Amino acid sequence: MKATDKLIAAIDKKLERFDPLWQAENGTGGLRSRYYDKTGVAKWREWRGVKDTFYDYTQWINNLVSMAGMVASAPVPILKGFWEYRWMGSYLGTFMFIDRLFEGYRGTELRIAHQNMHAIVQSLTKRIAFILSNDRRLGGGPDTDKIIPHDETITPLFLKGFKDLYPVPMQTLPEFIICDIDQHIEPYYIDVAESFGLPADVCSRCAAETGVALDDALPLVGKIMLSTNMPCNASEATSMFQRRRIGLPDNPITLAMQHQEKEAIPYSRKELENALAFVEEHYGVKYDWNELFKYATLMNEQNTIELEKWDLFKTPYSPLSGIAESLYRLYSWQSANGTDPYFNKVDRKVIEIMRKCYEDKYLPFGGKTRHRAFLWGPSAVYYTDFPTWTQNCWGITIVLNMDSTMGYNMIDTTDPDKAMDDLTAFTQRACMRHHAVGGWENINAVWEWAKNFNCDMVLMNDNIACKGMLGVHAVMEEQARDLGLHFIFIEHDLEDSRTVSRQDMRNCVNNYMSVVLNEKPLDPTLLEFDDSQAF
Amino acid sequence: MKDLKHLIYFENLLQDAQNELVTKAVDEGMYALGYNCYYVPETLLNLPGCFSSRLRAPRCVSTDVAGYYMTNRTCPYARSILERAIEGGYNYLNALFGSESCATMERMEEHFALLKPVKNDKFFTTIIDPPMKGDENNLTYYKVQLRTKVLEPLHEHYGIDISEDALRAAIDDHNEISRVITAIGEHRKADNPNITGYEFHVMQLVSQVCPHTMILPYLQETLEELETREPEPKFPFRARVALVGSEIDDPEFTKLIETCGAMVVADRYCYGSFPSREQIEIRDGESAFDAICRHYLHWNQCPRFMDGMKIDQRHHEVERLIREFKADGVIFENMKFCEFWSYEKVLSNHIFTNELHIPCCTIEKEYALGAVGQLRTRFQAFIESLEIKQIQGGK
Amino acid sequence: MKKVFAFLLKLIGKLLLIALIAFVATFTLYITNGENKLIYYVVRPFLNKHYDAQVRDRRIV
Repeated sequence: MKATDKLIAAIDKKLERFDPLWQAENGTGGLRSRYYDKTGVAKWREWRGVKDTFYDYTQWINNLVSMAGMVASAPVPILKGFWEYRWMGSYLGTFMFIDRLFEGYRGTELRIAHQNMHAIVQSLTKRIAFILSNDRRLGGGPDTDKIIPHDETITPLFLKGFKDLYPVPMQTLPEFIICDIDQHIEPYYIDVAESFGLPADVCSRCAAETGVALDDALPLVGKIMLSTNMPCNASEATSMFQRRRIGLPDNPITLAMQHQEKEAIPYSRKELENALAFVEEHYGVKYDWNELFKYATLMNEQNTIELEKWDLFKTPYSPLSGIAESLYRLYSWQSANGTDPYFNKVDRKVIEIMRKCYEDKYLPFGGKTRHRAFLWGPSAVYYTDFPTWTQNCWGITIVLNMDSTMGYNMIDTTDPDKAMDDLTAFTQRACMRHHAVGGWENINAVWEWAKNFNCDMVLMNDNIACKGMLGVHAVMEEQARDLGLHFIFIEHDLEDSRTVSRQDMRNCVNNYMSVVLNEKPLDPTLLEFDDSQAF
Repeated sequence: MKDLKHLIYFENLLQDAQNELVTKAVDEGMYALGYNCYYVPETLLNLPGCFSSRLRAPRCVSTDVAGYYMTNRTCPYARSILERAIEGGYNYLNALFGSESCATMERMEEHFALLKPVKNDKFFTTIIDPPMKGDENNLTYYKVQLRTKVLEPLHEHYGIDISEDALRAAIDDHNEISRVITAIGEHRKADNPNITGYEFHVMQLVSQVCPHTMILPYLQETLEELETREPEPKFPFRARVALVGSEIDDPEFTKLIETCGAMVVADRYCYGSFPSREQIEIRDGESAFDAICRHYLHWNQCPRFMDGMKIDQRHHEVERLIREFKADGVIFENMKFCEFWSYEKVLSNHIFTNELHIPCCTIEKEYALGAVGQLRTRFQAFIESLEIKQIQGGK
Repeated sequence: MKKVFAFLLKLIGKLLLIALIAFVATFTLYITNGENKLIYYVVRPFLNKHYDAQVRDRRIV
């Protein structure tokens, strides 16, 4: 042992009583002990031992630098954005958000999680700066007319054949991402939508999107907009309001709902081709396949690595799981989607670490995993640290999330005709879309996925307003019983934490674990706590 | 007004999905083909040897079992249909042709395949992936869906003739019943109509739930009767309204509005005659199948359509009906938990109130008409406002 | 040469001192969760007040 290691070990020993994991094991506290009640504000940051605390600190600096870079790159638009948009204020909760996502993480898990997270932070900060710098509402910029605003569930990759244009998902900043960071932001927009008479029983995500549009809080960029029927009914309907409010020519890309059928591809392909023609017509540009192939190659690499990750997820030796996996995959697939090489860099690094862990038979989370769960259903994104909580409280590792299984087919990079078919199949398997609606077979796939990933448990997110998932409630439960899988419905109202609180969601698991499985929590301080006023 | 000769008979036919005409047709060896949504063309289900049966769940008071399967947070129409299926109310069916028009409808129809509630050995279910725009690509997809999930399965399972001649015969059948229903409905245009909205609703419904060949003579006779039927000496209602919305298959709902004082002069809702009773025209060089698909895609005004052209079409169509049927206002209805109509209702309220300056009332309802006190209050208030407007000369 | 060497030593010393001060300051901020407390208790309430006072162009066009 080197002298420094000895010193560190001595310090760690001396300070171990401040480590919440040690506290939980020794009955002197736990992960929740360091919080002010209700607020989600920690009195101090988590003590993870010298090395991990220092690593976490360096990553905090790293993210801070990205944010400072964002402000420095466009100080006036950023400040104007903060002043104009309520949702921009919520981005200030990012540090608190990252802290709670990786609570209890140590060693390799922490390193991978931060690498993934920083990829998101660096991408998002650049995107915020870019959009606000070109937002007509804030004065516009040099690229305002070069942006293609598209629905958040349309993948930007197929639009990358337009060399000088920038595809930007419209709702990502004001809704899709920010609801992860601040549970109180979207209820404001939901209330706006409901003040126009929208019933409270529609999907809260779509209600929030509608509210953002009606509140005139969408950045104004581009010459057209590309809406879509994905993922579901309410999402289709909300685009009517976005179209009217934004006032740009709209081309709805209506992809096949029953996308697994062979008839789907020619139809959906034509939809994409029509969208490309629409862009060409309005922007006066030509589609460049070589340009597309460049990005498709990046996406293929991402997916190749992803598939290898899946093989490792099937073993007990994967240090990547839970929110570090699902949030990264969600962003890197749906939002980056092969358009940002930084994600490839991170993927290469992470897979190396994962391979090493597999060789070393490394057991993550101190070997405390008791159950391996597949998380199914459109995620309750306003409670993003839920998988972290299941891990810390009950030792339930979320091995994979439904949305992590988005388009993983490879895209041909030589033949435009083949590439178009591949892109169609790829695009149809978008976020919240390919398994939640479009027929029984899509959702019935959960058992196969759970089995393949050696899971003994399925956590089914039960969005109380998702009509596609509600319609199969009992059949799913009956099947789980027949197959002998632990099955828990996690009731939630997606982006409206007023209807079903985070504690209500946790109680779904608490009740099953304590009443049905008769298990004891790893950290009793996590069993019941009030975080209703937290971001 | 003098009672219509067959009205009570029609009303009785609506008391059960398997009414006496359905039973008679089944006994005669005809295939009963169920459907829920306009996206599945009724015409294709009336090929020789078959008859269409648009599913209703009359007198459904509880959806406990369906609620177990689909929770009580889903569309009560879909739940009621599933409940009735589990109760055995659709055992006469030979097939269900579903449509993923909305997620709940699709899930409900899926249960027909998963739970097998219809006790009929050869019963099968297919569900089409319906189009969401009115353009060529969507028309092509619609054709593929209808051919592979309606026509071909009919031929494969029951040997139904799906030839050009058979399809032309089905179009003739459609056009005839539509001609009669439309002619009956035209009577609502009069300043003092000799038919009520309720009576028309009953007749439109029987035309959708009974074998056409068996119900047609009664409807024709009623049409003749209407030619000479004397209206009330004075228009007995305080206002005229168009009713727009989702599944309204209970004529008692129309009666509720009319007892509040407004005649329902136009019925633009699922199960209504707009759309459903337009004539199908076969263009030169067009096959009967293509004509049916084009017709249904054109006339479909479901709020799930996303393209600007179809969105505008559905609002223009309501505006046209209001004008032609001289309605004083419009009532937009949405079934509880219906995502599409929930949004459409908000948008339509804005368009009709603020852009077209047509008085508009929006309501949400359950499938089964239970406690209607609140609805009655809403309707009465709306009708009063229409009356006041009339008194003030439309200001 | 000596002068240059002395200057370099001084410079490195200064840089190290600055780095140390920066580390102590940022690490203190980090470990006390200072920035989050500031954001939660001061900045967001201030911004929320501003947002609540905004007159938004709220309508269906």
